Amino acid sequence: MIGLYAIVQGAPLEAVGARGEPLRIFRRGALEAMCGEEPPPLSAEALRAHEAAVRRIADAAQACLPARFGACAADDASLSAALGEREAELAEALLLVRGREQMTLRVHGAPKASLPAGSGPGTRYLEERRQASQIPALGPLRSALSGVVRAERVEHHGEPGLLASVYHLIDRGTSGRYRELVEATALDGLRVTLTGPWPAWSFTPELGP
Amino acid sequence: MKKRARSRADEIIDRADASLLEIVDHVLNKGVMLQGEVMLGVAGVDLIYLRLNALLCAADRLLPTRTGK
Repeated sequence: MIGLYAIVQGAPLEAVGARGEPLRIFRRGALEAMCGEEPPPLSAEALRAHEAAVRRIADAAQACLPARFGACAADDASLSAALGEREAELAEALLLVRGREQMTLRVHGAPKASLPAGSGPGTRYLEERRQASQIPALGPLRSALSGVVRAERVEHHGEPGLLASVYHLIDRGTSGRYRELVEATALDGLRVTLTGPWPAWSFTPELGP
Repeated sequence: MKKRARSRADEIIDRADASLLEIVDHVLNKGVMLQGEVMLGVAGVDLIYLRLNALLCAADRLLPTRTGK
C-alpha cells in the first residue's frame, strides 16, 4: 500500500513523510506524486504529522497539491491510473497554485438580508438565498484584498454562527500583508478568524470516485 | 445537544484547539468538521475521534483502492 502526500511540480529530492520515512517520487507525465508508507490509523497526532509533512513538501516544491489524510493506492499501477484519469485537471490546478499558498477565513455572524419592500414569500426566499451565498457584507474585505488575492473559494456552512469559510490563494510571502489588510478592514455584523498560510488544501481537485 | 453545540461554536473556535480544528478541516476535507455538532467534540478531544472515525471512510475514498470495502 502506498500513502500519498501530495502531487507536485519541482519535487524536493529528500523529503520525508509523517513518520520520518523517505518519500519516493512517482512520475506520470508532468505530475510528480510524493509517496510514502501506508497511512497510519487515525489520531490527532497522525493528522498533525500528515499536515506537517505536507507543509514541508509545499515549502520545498514549486507547486503542491496536498493529498488528504488517508489517501492511498494499492500499487504503482493503480496510482498511475488514478492520476491519469485526472491528469489535465491536476496539471491545471498545479498551474494555479504554483508559487502560492492559502489563507483561510472563517466568517461568523448572522446573515443580514435586506429585502425588497412588498416582496412575496417566494421572492423573499430567493433573495435570502442569493444574499446568503454571496455574503454581501464581505464586500469591503474583498475590495481591500483584491490586490493580493489570486483566487477565492467560498464554502457555505448554513449553520447559525458560522456562515462560511473563505479560502484565498495568495502569492508566497504576502501573508503578512494579507493579515494586515484583514485586520484593518471593518465588517458590518460579521466577525472573521484568520489562519494561514497553509498549503493549498482548498484548491486541490479531489481524487477518487 | 446539537443546539447547545451550535451556541458554543464561537467560543470553542477561539480556543487553543482551534489549531487542531483547522488541521482537521484542511486535512480531512470539505469543512464538515466545522459544523455545529462537531464543535462540541473539539472541547473534549475524545469525542472528536468518534466523528473522525465516521469520516475516515470518506478519506479512504480519495483514491479508488478500497472500493468494495
